[in-house]
Amino acid sequence: MSGISPVGGFVPFSIPTTVSPVVGAGAPDVTGVEQAAGGGFATALGQGLQSLQQTQTHADELAVQAATGDLTDVHDFMIASTQAQLATELTVTLRNKALDAFNEIMRMQG
Amino acid sequence: MSVFSVIGIAGSGATVYRKWLDAVSDNIANLNTVRPTSEAAYQEQRVIAEPMPGGGVQVAGTTVSGSPEGKLVYEPNHPLADAQGYVRYPDIDLSSEMTQLIMAQRGYQANLSSVDRAREAYQAALQLGRG
Repeated sequence: MSGISPVGGFVPFSIPTTVSPVVGAGAPDVTGVEQAAGGGFATALGQGLQSLQQTQTHADELAVQAATGDLTDVHDFMIASTQAQLATELTVTLRNKALDAFNEIMRMQG
Repeated sequence: MSVFSVIGIAGSGATVYRKWLDAVSDNIANLNTVRPTSEAAYQEQRVIAEPMPGGGVQVAGTTVSGSPEGKLVYEPNHPLADAQGYVRYPDIDLSSEMTQLIMAQRGYQANLSSVDRAREAYQAALQLGRG
């Protein structure tokens, strides 16, 4: 008995030298990114906050309707509050990420 | 808000199914609504759904099905009975209404499941930014 037969060595698989482009994906739209960058992050965040304000106002209106008994659809209120919650989380996450990046750059001086 | 359009679309579906539930419960409630033979019987209410242009579904309107003649029942002691002793009952099949009730309830639940899944998916995406 020769014991455990050796495992045939690692055979490197052939790496394709040319990667065919994914059909239909197309080139990324760089112009849109550049335009957004031109507006600045503050503008984008401001627009996001305005949109968030609208969502929360809508949820608040439905909350008042629920309290006064004028609410026709229970799910409308629940959906509006879910949207407001998600929009808030999205905005806060974006703001935190931007703040992290800013702090990271400020630490470069030290 | 276009970012969370899944939630809005599923919400429109839930509204349509809620109106279907309303129509079915209206039909069941009026199952024994008696009319004199000089008037038309209560007719079954149906909800017409149509797709919304921007995505989603909405109620185009309601229609009535079944005959206005209903079912003539011989009840001479009924206060609304005519000279021959007949009254008009609505021509509604209770088992059909119960089936529609189940379909409307399940459709409502399915749309709310979509909302819940979309919320979970969005929150998972947001978790990417918290690391």
